[in-house]
Amino acid sequence: MTTTYVDVDVRPILRAGGEPFEQIMEAVNVLKPGEGLRLFATFKPTPLLHVLGSKGFTHVSKELDGGEWEVVFSPSGTPPTNEASVGTAAHNDTLWPEPIKNLDNRELDPPEPMVKILATAETMQPGEVLAALLRREPLFLFPELAKRGHSWRGGFEADGKTYKVLVRIGIPKGSAA
Amino acid sequence: MAGVSLSRWTMAYFASALLALVVAECLMVAGYGYPAVPIAAPETLVLVHVVAIGWLSLLMCGALFQFVPVLVARPLHSNSLPLPTLGCLVAGLVALLFAFLKMAGQIDLDLAYFPLAATLLAAGFTLVLWNLGRTLWASRPLTLPARFVAVGLLSVGATAILGIAFALILGGVSTNAHLLDVAALGLPIHVIAGLGGWLTFTAIGVSYRLLAMFMLAPELDGPSTRGALYLGTAALGVAIVGGVATICFDGNLTITLSAAGLLGLCAIALYGRDTVHLYRARKRRKIELNSRMAILALASLAASAILIVVLLGLGVLGRHIGAVVFLVSFGWLSGLGLSKLYKIVAFLTWLECYGPVIGKTPTPRVQDLVVESRATKWFALYFLGVWMATVALLLDGPLAFRVSTGAMLIATSGIIVQLVRSRSLCDVKAGLRLPEGARRPRFLFSSAQHA
Repeated sequence: MTTTYVDVDVRPILRAGGEPFEQIMEAVNVLKPGEGLRLFATFKPTPLLHVLGSKGFTHVSKELDGGEWEVVFSPSGTPPTNEASVGTAAHNDTLWPEPIKNLDNRELDPPEPMVKILATAETMQPGEVLAALLRREPLFLFPELAKRGHSWRGGFEADGKTYKVLVRIGIPKGSAA
Repeated sequence: MAGVSLSRWTMAYFASALLALVVAECLMVAGYGYPAVPIAAPETLVLVHVVAIGWLSLLMCGALFQFVPVLVARPLHSNSLPLPTLGCLVAGLVALLFAFLKMAGQIDLDLAYFPLAATLLAAGFTLVLWNLGRTLWASRPLTLPARFVAVGLLSVGATAILGIAFALILGGVSTNAHLLDVAALGLPIHVIAGLGGWLTFTAIGVSYRLLAMFMLAPELDGPSTRGALYLGTAALGVAIVGGVATICFDGNLTITLSAAGLLGLCAIALYGRDTVHLYRARKRRKIELNSRMAILALASLAASAILIVVLLGLGVLGRHIGAVVFLVSFGWLSGLGLSKLYKIVAFLTWLECYGPVIGKTPTPRVQDLVVESRATKWFALYFLGVWMATVALLLDGPLAFRVSTGAMLIATSGIIVQLVRSRSLCDVKAGLRLPEGARRPRFLFSSAQHA
């Protein structure tokens, strides 16, 4: 099956100092099954790669002239489920190392579970994995993880009451191209 | 699983809504509308719609644009539509108020206010339904709280359609016989769909999740929650669909509405049972102000239900329906709204300001944005004012009513000052207020929460 791509060029918005995230997500939300997205930006949109990775897209990035980027997002064929999704699709098939930190945040008042995960993540090295037990899906945490370049996997345990999230520490922005 | 970002325009909805609440309370203190004039007088209609659309609907829309994505774990369909939606709703409300003022002979400017109001409000509520409806539709199968919201959204559609029908008749645009019948007899259906379906049912759905979240209580999805959903939906179906059919086929509307009322009371009883369970099963022993004040709002809902039964038993429900509507609107809906606003404004402000720097530098806790001891007295005064005003309406004491609503106005102003302080980070210790990398949130909108 050939994939058709919807073009989204956010370079004018970025050059004007604007914030194109909403426009991109709106374009993603109206994609039909099997459709992909071709994005043009003035920089490599690393956090977005994570966000769309978690929505089941794989990506191929290509640097254009003048430091601009073309990123082609393709549906990975297996739609993400609510149960266990993956933060960065590029690492779908790689095994994550065992967590070196385990947090049980089930008894903490919100938003302390999120604070504790982000604070612990700051003390860890790229590639290391953190595991945390929560009482609900940490919906406000995910954008913060994406912003910091971390990837995550999560899902409810068999009891349906405990949500386990694995966070793999990403490479800090600015330290690598 | 991209998570939920901040709703861009929710704060603008909250600010507009609070402004409308203050305007409504000023009108009541000034003795404008019911009880000084009859319940169906144009002046009362002005007051009622400032409360129902200006305060409660805008508050609900602002909250839903932020929390429907939380209920369904999916981003809002569009984060940019809420601004034009707000424009349509506010402009439509203003046109509607002018239409009523013209009816009352208080303005003398000849414009087609009713058709204008009908068009703008239809556009506004259609945009609300489109945006939230698309978000919910994409998230099927829906969780239980989201199903309450879905039924609430269908009800706001029904409320708006009935309201538009009234506006077209009153504006002289239509003379269709069925529409004339609906306009003449359909007012109770419009009120039930709006206060019962849209506002109460949606608030119930959102409260199931928020109460569980803020008190570390288990999520409920057992038979009594399902029962509340099904019985409540049945009540609204009978009242709205059955009610309109009864009018069109010349049936007895009282019988239809009584059947709906019975189903509705059963649904409220089950919801009451669930909330008691949520408070008892909570893991968080010391609960915050918002959860404590929500108890008073829930008590007002229970009191409203009991009041309806007692007044029915005494055969005087019709005469005192104003007091019941007042208690539902201000004790239950506004009380719950103000309580939850106190938490939501602080939380969203905290997330927007400190989210990007959590873990990198010391940041305040959400509770550091508020001073509960200062806010408690205003909430206490507010609920006291509401209950006194309800008693004043029941005992036909217009002066006592104005004094009581004066207390509500003072209390609301006090609460608003606390909300503004929380949004402006006034109560955060100076050293922690703006760590490096944190940006002071804008007052009326949220900057996008991503890189």
